[in-house]
Amino acid sequence: MAEHTVAAFDEDLGQISRLISDMGDLAGSMVGGATKALLNSDNALAQRVVSDDAIMDARQRELDDRAITLIAKRQPMADDLRHVVGSIRMAGDLERIGDLAKNIAKRVGTVGLSATPRELSHSIDAMAQLVLIQVQGVIEEYAARDAAALAKLRADDERIDVKYTSVFRELLTYMMEDPRNITACTHLLFCAKNLERIGDHVTNIAENAYYVLTGTQLPANRPKQDETAMSAPAA
Amino acid sequence: MSQMLSPDMTIAAEAVTKAKIEVKNLNFYYGQSKALKDITLSLPERSVTAFIGPSGCGKSTLLRVFNRIYELYPKQTAEGQVLLDGQNILDRSQDLNLLRTKIGMVFQKPTPFPMSIYENIAFGVRLYEKISKAEMDGRVEQALKRAALWTEVKDKLNASGLSLSGGQQQRLCIARTVAVKPEVILLDEPASALDPLSTAKIEELIDELQADYTIVIVTHNMQQAARVSKQTAFMYLGELVEFDRTEKIFTSPREKRTQDYITGRFG
Repeated sequence: MAEHTVAAFDEDLGQISRLISDMGDLAGSMVGGATKALLNSDNALAQRVVSDDAIMDARQRELDDRAITLIAKRQPMADDLRHVVGSIRMAGDLERIGDLAKNIAKRVGTVGLSATPRELSHSIDAMAQLVLIQVQGVIEEYAARDAAALAKLRADDERIDVKYTSVFRELLTYMMEDPRNITACTHLLFCAKNLERIGDHVTNIAENAYYVLTGTQLPANRPKQDETAMSAPAA
Repeated sequence: MSQMLSPDMTIAAEAVTKAKIEVKNLNFYYGQSKALKDITLSLPERSVTAFIGPSGCGKSTLLRVFNRIYELYPKQTAEGQVLLDGQNILDRSQDLNLLRTKIGMVFQKPTPFPMSIYENIAFGVRLYEKISKAEMDGRVEQALKRAALWTEVKDKLNASGLSLSGGQQQRLCIARTVAVKPEVILLDEPASALDPLSTAKIEELIDELQADYTIVIVTHNMQQAARVSKQTAFMYLGELVEFDRTEKIFTSPREKRTQDYITGRFG
């Protein structure tokens, strides 16, 4: 991409890109940390994730300030305009990912995972890995300006939805087997739901990033495989 | 109109609107120098079209072809066709006076005549029509109202047009243009010499006038083009690079040259 006649314009846009990249790295670290803390009952790590959320919020506020100032000062057009507006929206999704990771981390102390079966932690772990790959992937593909990879990544959210459905059923089974599991499993259900929601935010980021890069929107409907709403009464 | 354009110059959303002006394979020369290169585009009726591009790209030249004002100067020639409602205005048989009543023009610098506000408007009308004083009074009032100037000048119609502020003078020029009941209004940088408030008034006026007139505006102010026009043409070095819906041009233009220009990455 050619440079702007006004060099400071490039610097302003570069700062916004760096903030998105920082927030993406932080989101990946928070999601990874929260699930690791959950699976290992690591309260110290959980505490670090909780405190990281304040950094995430501060980054988002900084990005908002910079984006608004840039719009006021430079009146961006075309790809610059898409970049700035897209960044504001992506930062909103990243901030929400931070909130959801923090929510998982806050449950670490109360879940007491040792009381729940080993298979379950495997399922949650597998789901978390899928989510983490998505979170890290979306920021990498955006930085690499790879629109095709972003479209694929958006479609890949389906795998998280499928996994969530299976974890949901699994948790219900454990709760029915032994009511003493209900407290832990309910917390884990929230954790699984949070991971599934993080996947949705990644999807939003991929859609925004695709629009920023190409100027066209991805088709509105994406395959949905979260069947828990339908399967709940039967299960 | 879409059939008239090459596929990349088609504006699908405007296809239902009738074309007021159709430019076909237009070339323009200042002596030996070619200033417009094979321009083909179609301007929809009762709509605002903006021409943007760097200085010397040919946008004002194209505007000046539409009322053949270039003929006032020697060694300026146009080749090709410019159809106004299907009639080629470049034909030698075209009555220039008639053409200029149909296609009015407002320039960058306000150019009121050194006469009263009333006479500034009545003067042009008298050239083409013989009407009574009462009818003329009505015509002047109507034109001033149309140009959103009436309330500011109704008590001083005999004051000199030159006594008005720059923004008021420009609206007086628009009133003068509107008074002779044109079909097309050409605006060549109409607000570039005005303060932001006067500019806003001109833009508001353009928005109102498009219900009745086909408007073509040349502007260096891209935000202005984005605000007032429905379709935008980007020109560069005498070529029409891209012509599309204004939203498309300013959010995701197809051509890299357009993108580079509107984002400030040019040269």
